[in-house]
Amino acid sequence: MNSATTRQSPIGPYPRAAIATGLLVLLLAFSFSGMRAEVWTALLPFFEWMETTWFGYVGKTWGGAFATIQAGHLVSLGVLGGAVLFSDGRLLGLYSSLPLRDVIDGSHQVFKWALAVVVFTGVFMVCGVAVKVYYLPVFWYKMLTLTVGVLFAFYVRKPLVDRDLSGVSPLVIKLTAIASIMVWFTVAATGRWIGFS
Amino acid sequence: MTESKKSEGENPRGLKDDEMAAVVVAGSIVVFFAVYWFFEIMSVRELLEMAYG
Repeated sequence: MNSATTRQSPIGPYPRAAIATGLLVLLLAFSFSGMRAEVWTALLPFFEWMETTWFGYVGKTWGGAFATIQAGHLVSLGVLGGAVLFSDGRLLGLYSSLPLRDVIDGSHQVFKWALAVVVFTGVFMVCGVAVKVYYLPVFWYKMLTLTVGVLFAFYVRKPLVDRDLSGVSPLVIKLTAIASIMVWFTVAATGRWIGFS
Repeated sequence: MTESKKSEGENPRGLKDDEMAAVVVAGSIVVFFAVYWFFEIMSVRELLEMAYG
């Protein structure tokens, strides 16, 4: 038997699950403790600095540039949402005539590129209105859900769906797909909420 | 394909770990967002009731 497969992790037989649980507990502790306010206060100088950067200057000065980048942000978010719905829809059993592996792998490639564009254009947009969004609770909700979504997509969902799914419980697959749709739906909703705040 | 299934069968610990992580995180996300959106919807309903009776 291969020694690599029998080697016990120092954090038990379920290292990935243990780390994920630990991160969730840390996130809850951070959210419901005074540490959150301390970090928020300490971040103000960083947001003030963002407005003084080249991105911040362009974003505040040329409305057309901001609107164009925002259009790219919204389109890439739409592409990202499409990739998520296509892949998770297939995991939920929709359009079962399409090959599962092709749908999952193809969607993940689109998802990665769309996410890169979403983050890049998002940073540009925040630079233009950094101090304004700093005081908006919904901006922090979006950052939180985006972080959870990215960690979930790459650390939990991807390793699961990369396996031979015939050996994985259909309930777990469907639960993962529903959670993925919910978290990216919330990222999109909170993003639009910023625009109306 | 058969070989792949065989190798996964020989290493059930990894598969269980991925599934366990997915159950913990996905379950937490579904419960959290179900509660979150429930209260958001209730909040909107209260606002509408205050506005229109």
